[in-house]
Amino acid sequence: MRAVEGRPLEERELVRRARRGDERAFEELVRMHQETAFRVAYLIAGSEAEDAVQEGVLKAWRALRRFRPDAPFRPWLLRIVANEARNRRRSTGRRAALALRAEREDVSGGAAPSPETAVVAADERTRLLEAVDALPDDSRLALACRYLLELDEAETAAALGVRRGTVKSRVSRALDRLRESYD
Amino acid sequence: MTELERDLLALRIEWPETPDVASRLELRPRRRLLLPALVLAAIVAVAAAFAVPQSRSAILRFFHLRGVTVEHVGSLPPAGERPLAAGLGVEVDDAQARMVLGGPFLPPAHGTLFERNGIVSTLLRGPLLLSEFGAPEFLKKFATSNVEWVKVAPDVQGLWIAGAPHVVFFPDASPRLAGNVLVFATDTRTFRLEGRGLTKADALAEAREILGTTAR
Repeated sequence: MRAVEGRPLEERELVRRARRGDERAFEELVRMHQETAFRVAYLIAGSEAEDAVQEGVLKAWRALRRFRPDAPFRPWLLRIVANEARNRRRSTGRRAALALRAEREDVSGGAAPSPETAVVAADERTRLLEAVDALPDDSRLALACRYLLELDEAETAAALGVRRGTVKSRVSRALDRLRESYD
Repeated sequence: MTELERDLLALRIEWPETPDVASRLELRPRRRLLLPALVLAAIVAVAAAFAVPQSRSAILRFFHLRGVTVEHVGSLPPAGERPLAAGLGVEVDDAQARMVLGGPFLPPAHGTLFERNGIVSTLLRGPLLLSEFGAPEFLKKFATSNVEWVKVAPDVQGLWIAGAPHVVFFPDASPRLAGNVLVFATDTRTFRLEGRGLTKADALAEAREILGTTAR
């Protein structure tokens, strides 16, 4: 069942309860989005990702009264976690060393690969991923959010800390760069 | 969707295992710390207000023009001085600028465009810095210099800020000192024209040229 702007009714109820101080409801909200939040933080801050998510989530809890209850929760959480990840990366002075690897063929337990997966041969996948990884940070993050994490524009804007218009131009530019280096 | 985009979507990444942050949250102890923290913050705020009473009374006047707020203050916040061309962002073409702004950059004939956080800029002769943005609620300025309303075109209001450097806060950038500035806005776009020796007459003429309109 969907409620406001594609947002599950269950999430809206959890937000309502969490804003009233229900810790279990907040934990449930975090559980729903922690995988995406962690992956965004990993893209930005590498090995600092877990700490960034932990601290970001605590900041979200403290700031929950300021959250607009009719707004989608995930972009809001992603913005806070991504900010924390950027701060940690700045303070450690380390560039996130991405170690993304193409998933092995047997990860799906031997099941037939999906049509999308079958399109790209294993070595091509690795080469494409390496090309993404070699892009400048802005481009790499924009593509990773949109295509590897499949975030929508609003979520990507939140994760990158930019406006939606900037996401469009950044993705377009990143695809151009990737095409040049990959083709 | 292009083939490259399809290839990207088809990639399956072996992500590190996601830690179960939700199960490890320690909300209660954190929350107990909140009350003393709030009390401390309140004490600091009150003490600061009493320590520098002029800072509160020094806000002389507010000006709002679409995405720009100008606070006319008694003294400026700290800010650095940077060249006009510094921190403009990455180079973009006309199509990318159009996507960001929701319409073509003006004037149609222009030099290299740069984009940062939704603001598209170019350098004009002078040198002048012309910046345009579509989204409202964007810039904040603090000025001790003269701030006055001006009429750029029949339906276009502007703010002329001149006489002394003022401080401008762009989103996600550290504050910087700015020279004379004309800010003007149409229904869908805010323009900012800046130059050290820019005069009001030249700024208005330039603005009308940018908009492709005539005076009054």
